[in-house]
Amino acid sequence: MYRLLFRQVVTLSLLSAAAFAAPPRSASDKVDFQRQVRPILSDKCFQCHGPDKGTRMADLRLDTHDGALSKRASGMTIVPGDLEASLFYQRITHKNEVLRMPPVYSKKELTVEQIDVLRRWIEEGASWDQHWSFKAVKRTEPPEVDNASWARGPVDRFILARLDQEGLAPAPEADKRTLARRVALDLTGLPPDMGVLESFFSDTSANAYEKLVDKLLESKHWGEHRGRYWLDAARYADTHGIHIDNYREMWAYRDWVIQAFNDNKPFDEFTVEQLAGDLLPNPTLDQLVATGFQRCNMTTNEGGVIPEEYEVIYAKDRADTTGTVFLGLTVGCATCHDHKFDAIAQRDFYSLTAFFRNTTQFVMDGNVSDPPPVLVVPLEEDRDEWNKLRAEATETDAALKRLTSSGDAVDAEFTAWLKSGEYRSINAPLEESAQQLTLSLNGKPEIEMGGQRQDVSLHGGAARGEGPDKDVPALLFGEESWAELPAQALDSDSAFSIALWLFHPNEAGSFIVAGQNDPDDGSRGWTFEIAERQLIFKMTGDKSEGGEEGDEGRSSVTIVPNNIKRLPAGEWTHITVTHDGSGEWAGLRFYMNGEIIPVQGSEYFTKVQGSIRVDRPLMLAKGDNRGRGGRDEIKTRYMNGGGIADLRIFNRAISVDEAKVVSQWAVVKRTSEKQPGQLTSEERDALRLYYLAREHKGYRDLMSRKSEIELSWRELRRRGGVTHVMQEVAGHEPEAHILNRGMYDQRQELVKAGTPPALPPMAASLPRNRLGLAKWIVDDANPLTARVIVNRYWQQVFGNGIVRTSDDFGSQGETPSHPELLDWLAVEFRESGWDVKDFFRMMVTSSTYRQSSETTAAKTKKDAGNRLLSHGPRFRMDGEMVRDYALAASGLLVRKIGGPSVKPYQPEGVWESVAMLASNTRHYQQDSGDKLYRRSMYTFWKRSAPPASMNIFNAPTREQSTVHRDRTNTPLQALVTMNDPQFVEAARYLAQKAMREAGDDFDRQLDYMSTRLLARDFGDKERAVARRTYEGFVGYYGEHGQDAQKLLSTGESAPDEALPAAESAALTMVANQIINLDEILNK
Amino acid sequence: MHPHKEAILAETRRQFFSRGAKGIGGIALANLMAGSGLGGPIGGGESIGGLPGLPHFAPKAKRCIYLHMMGAPPQMDLLDYKPKMKEWYDKDLPESIRKGQRLTTMTSGQSRFPIAPSVFKFNQHGQSGAWISELLPHTASMVDDIAIVRSMNTDAINHEPAITFIQTGRQVAGRPCIGSWLAYGLGSMNEDLPTFVVMNAEKSHPKSGQQAISAKLWSSGFLSSKYAGVGLRGGAEPVLYVKNPDGVSASVRRNMLDGLSELNQIQHEKIGDPETLARIAQYEMAFRMQSSVPEMGDIASEPESTFKRWGEDAKEPGKFQNAALMARRLVERGVRFVQIYHRGWDVHSFAPEVLPAQARDVDRAAWALIQDLKERGLFDETLVIWGGEFGRTIYSQGKLTPTDYGRDHHPRCYSLWMAGGGIKGGVVHGETDDFSYNIVKDPVHIRDYQATIMQLFGIDHERFTHRHLGLDAKLTGVIPAKVVKELLA
Repeated sequence: MYRLLFRQVVTLSLLSAAAFAAPPRSASDKVDFQRQVRPILSDKCFQCHGPDKGTRMADLRLDTHDGALSKRASGMTIVPGDLEASLFYQRITHKNEVLRMPPVYSKKELTVEQIDVLRRWIEEGASWDQHWSFKAVKRTEPPEVDNASWARGPVDRFILARLDQEGLAPAPEADKRTLARRVALDLTGLPPDMGVLESFFSDTSANAYEKLVDKLLESKHWGEHRGRYWLDAARYADTHGIHIDNYREMWAYRDWVIQAFNDNKPFDEFTVEQLAGDLLPNPTLDQLVATGFQRCNMTTNEGGVIPEEYEVIYAKDRADTTGTVFLGLTVGCATCHDHKFDAIAQRDFYSLTAFFRNTTQFVMDGNVSDPPPVLVVPLEEDRDEWNKLRAEATETDAALKRLTSSGDAVDAEFTAWLKSGEYRSINAPLEESAQQLTLSLNGKPEIEMGGQRQDVSLHGGAARGEGPDKDVPALLFGEESWAELPAQALDSDSAFSIALWLFHPNEAGSFIVAGQNDPDDGSRGWTFEIAERQLIFKMTGDKSEGGEEGDEGRSSVTIVPNNIKRLPAGEWTHITVTHDGSGEWAGLRFYMNGEIIPVQGSEYFTKVQGSIRVDRPLMLAKGDNRGRGGRDEIKTRYMNGGGIADLRIFNRAISVDEAKVVSQWAVVKRTSEKQPGQLTSEERDALRLYYLAREHKGYRDLMSRKSEIELSWRELRRRGGVTHVMQEVAGHEPEAHILNRGMYDQRQELVKAGTPPALPPMAASLPRNRLGLAKWIVDDANPLTARVIVNRYWQQVFGNGIVRTSDDFGSQGETPSHPELLDWLAVEFRESGWDVKDFFRMMVTSSTYRQSSETTAAKTKKDAGNRLLSHGPRFRMDGEMVRDYALAASGLLVRKIGGPSVKPYQPEGVWESVAMLASNTRHYQQDSGDKLYRRSMYTFWKRSAPPASMNIFNAPTREQSTVHRDRTNTPLQALVTMNDPQFVEAARYLAQKAMREAGDDFDRQLDYMSTRLLARDFGDKERAVARRTYEGFVGYYGEHGQDAQKLLSTGESAPDEALPAAESAALTMVANQIINLDEILNK
Repeated sequence: MHPHKEAILAETRRQFFSRGAKGIGGIALANLMAGSGLGGPIGGGESIGGLPGLPHFAPKAKRCIYLHMMGAPPQMDLLDYKPKMKEWYDKDLPESIRKGQRLTTMTSGQSRFPIAPSVFKFNQHGQSGAWISELLPHTASMVDDIAIVRSMNTDAINHEPAITFIQTGRQVAGRPCIGSWLAYGLGSMNEDLPTFVVMNAEKSHPKSGQQAISAKLWSSGFLSSKYAGVGLRGGAEPVLYVKNPDGVSASVRRNMLDGLSELNQIQHEKIGDPETLARIAQYEMAFRMQSSVPEMGDIASEPESTFKRWGEDAKEPGKFQNAALMARRLVERGVRFVQIYHRGWDVHSFAPEVLPAQARDVDRAAWALIQDLKERGLFDETLVIWGGEFGRTIYSQGKLTPTDYGRDHHPRCYSLWMAGGGIKGGVVHGETDDFSYNIVKDPVHIRDYQATIMQLFGIDHERFTHRHLGLDAKLTGVIPAKVVKELLA
């Protein structure tokens, strides 16, 4: 009777995935703890009697052996072999609903079948085992099988043994063309090209197939195809993702991934470099680029964001991603409390996030493409120069530091200079010739310009008043008051510096400090303003940057310091802005009290177009600007309650030390009355800096060398690209607070970086940082990594993982369908030196893989979803493959590897309808030429509106790590492949090629197309259908010449006018029909 | 019946049910079609493709039109009357009210938090005597049909996380939105149109602060992506790729599809993969969509009386009025969930100038929508929601004058309204303090609100779960939520 029940369970659950878990090895039907019991306990009991001590009820835990066998006040939880004495069993079968477990309110219920499993388990001795995936990986001998000749290798023996048990026979080997197409798609993501196909067909040697596999593994497209899966896991995209969702430049990371697969970089190195390339000794440029993996997370620059909140979110994302991608663990479940099912405590989760908290990255991405830390990725030919400059910059900085630190030889020279008394006659912070304008307030307000003095006109009650120092008076401004100075000849191609003391009024809001611009000319000019205590300097040119409508597009360059460097309110601050005459973003600097301040991002080469020079007075404390997009009325803003002192304009970009000297000018000036012995240490320091910056040749030489390096660096950067990298905060240990319920503002205990104690420990020799974490992940003792990775590779080829929940190897994940095979593969992969190409070679040369995908009703019933692999893999390709397939088969594909992302055809309005006005990814500007025909992995990925056609084919948004894509089958997909110009153009291109190359005969044209699209000829029945529809099309287009012309002009490439239009259009529709075949859409 | 569909039915019957009646075959086919996200054939009004066991109990609502006011409308200028604030003009928000609660970094640097009373007049309306701002005259005229909740509150303080939270139950991307949950649980009610449709409506005042929207808001998260919202756009191609290429007529497409089906049948006979049959069905549905979508989107076919009620703006694609009218046409045709985002409510500045324009966009259209639904007998089964993702501050962001102010984000309380689909009309639920800063009575958290929506659809939010990464995940998350019974008819 019990036996009968069990059989029922099996039958009932045949349609559910669980049925495909491995069957018991013996025929005795003994309950398997790992496969049958633990999942029930986990799902129905652990919530309240599991690892989470916070919510554990009755102090009972059922996730450990000790807990399950524990002694209770009223008896024993479980007594092996004794149902009567097992309180556990009594409670799950209790007649009284109030006492029965699980309780009604939990909304969990044990089925009759589950109770039966638990009963038999206890009767059979209540065996116990650790959760399978946490156990060490062990190599198992492949089972013996009867049909040994079918099995080419161990993989096949594992698969066949299981099929034998189920009474299923493998399918016969697929024909050559099917195999060639399948393996080309699996290894390169593209259909086999004609040359490869022909040499394979004509090769009659026994290892012809193996030779084909080797050839495909050497293809440069191998790296692209493997890389594409990895980019889903890495959540790579071309925009920041949150809010304004602006462009992010990090395609160099994408190209690194492709190259790594093409180089067959061992997977352990691949892992270490991405997690911690920056922490390796003397990292190479490539190892730094690899760390982009950790910078692929979404970032924000939303106005009101509280940075700390997002610091927590970013670290969590990185921990979650690392957990999913390498460990197959849902570590994020322990964000708010201990994990309910797996042995990961909340504390362990925060120890894991700690690895990612020690970063120099600022939370706000500044809406720029390259928020630091970023890395210049020079062109290949610039790499030597790049390395040389890097070394030189380090040396120069060290030399400068030696000079500025006291105790150096400079001290003696400085003392001698002091003794000379020269300092007592200094009358300006910098050389006379550099001074373009100086505001003097000692008497009546006036300015000095080129030796001339001119009055300053004050309006609306602006008045002279107390400044930052008793010797430095200021201009103070009221509600609507301002000052006007003569126009200054500042331009986008002239170097200049503006220095001033600023009193930030005790108010929020945004106002103008100084500026010259023309609101009637697109706000051309320059403006120094403050918004919410942030400094902003903006230059606006007289030309548009193109592409944008109306005057929104007037080119400008703006630098905005980091959010964290806000101006203090209610006190005086010295500010300097410098411009080196390049008109570029990179040529602007902000200094606060003589210290350079970091700015939001660094869109290095934004350049103001044309001249910013306007013949308008230099206004202080007042500015006229256009509103949003330049369309609103002019808005006048005043610096209500603020003050300005010691305004100076210089005709060159002053250096960092000079900016400091200028900021300390009041201090330097008052020393003129003093003997060296009377100087305070503040005055001495200020003079020392003045001496270095102005008088010391060695120092000045180093400084000019530094700016030369900077300029050369900029040139390398201009030619190359930029990518996001990781950078550790130096001299600080990774740590994180445990957060109550995951709330960023509810900090609890501080924990150091560490790995979950439920897994084998990190070696004592490993550093407690990302490098240590990475090495622990690929350590032989780690039971998860190799299993998780081989499972994902299996999934890529066979459609399902051996563990179908490829993102969850924890207690709640599915158990493996072939546990011994999984372990065998994991050991094999690891011991091969983590050789990815070898691993794929092993899979695709197996008999299992080579089976025909034809199935029978019996197989469909016993092996739904082909989890037992009773036939060859057949499933719908991912969106990228579907598109690449049409491009490649038609001959349109441009096979260039890497480079900036491209924008192929996309329906209008996909970006516009979601983007904010200010977003630089608001308008989708379709590319033209070659860029329309690149592989889909190079399509620009905007996270808030991912590529429309691929999105419809289940491509993720790349907002978070994805290791498993959905494969739906919807009418919207049919609409893409029928109507997207990309597919229609491919059909037309192929049809016209067929007409040119195969002659006038329809059958030969059809063969030409089907060989390229299907790697085979049509059979008779199919041929008849194709001919009939073709004739229908010819009839239609013969009568509707205009429609033929319209259809043929789809896409950017020009149709061949020499060919007859009606036939061209008709054959185009036949190609469109073939491209939409189920056979094409499936691999 | 179309010959191919018949063939599929025959095949389906043969395969799964040797003695199956036509009805069973139909169900099997519908399940195949549930792979579409577009539902299966409609039969006697019941749903196709939902989960077994759902709804848990008799639903009040079968459809929903959700008008989301993107950017967060200021409750004290629209639905939450605060007469005492007149006396507080330009006085500082008392610390006893603020209680140190966090502010966004947009105003946390302000030295003062001067109170900005609404410049708009309020009057009492209807049987319920609810106070409504002069900005919403049409809404005022139907207060007895709607339930106003004045005690909404949320966890998030900025738009991106807040809107993700109200739509998906979590502040960070990755979870299914309400529309996806309903499509997944309840299935489709039509065979030619998507189950869940999303539209974006533009703001109309140039000074309105515009917020970003993003695919994550109509994402199906960890549910199959067939449950994601399908974007519906104004203009020639309401659904992406629905239009045949230029030069491909319906007859050419039909010819192509007929051949395609035959070729796929041949393939199916050889390989035996049931997915091939499903694909044939999907292509047929795609063909039907090619005519049903333009028909649905053809607003010009509406009688003149429609535009008398709705106003001329309803004719203009991209406008809220147009999207709302489209929503009515969609639910008439059996679409289950229509989501409209109306942008421009982020009034950090120029509130008195911007709000009348924003309100004008939505007030009459929301009223016209409800009148239309009533006339067609759809109101009782259609839930209509109007509201944003959080509230706004009583104090002014930036400079305050008697005629100008801005308002910052405020998660502690805000107002929205719901109507139809099992909602009790004439209700005003919850209460805030004199400053509309804290809730003093009957708080409704986002989770409670979501639980209530599920309840209206006949779903116990606690039992409607989906296994994701080992957890039985649900819309309302792990923290307990309660259905707001006071809102139920």
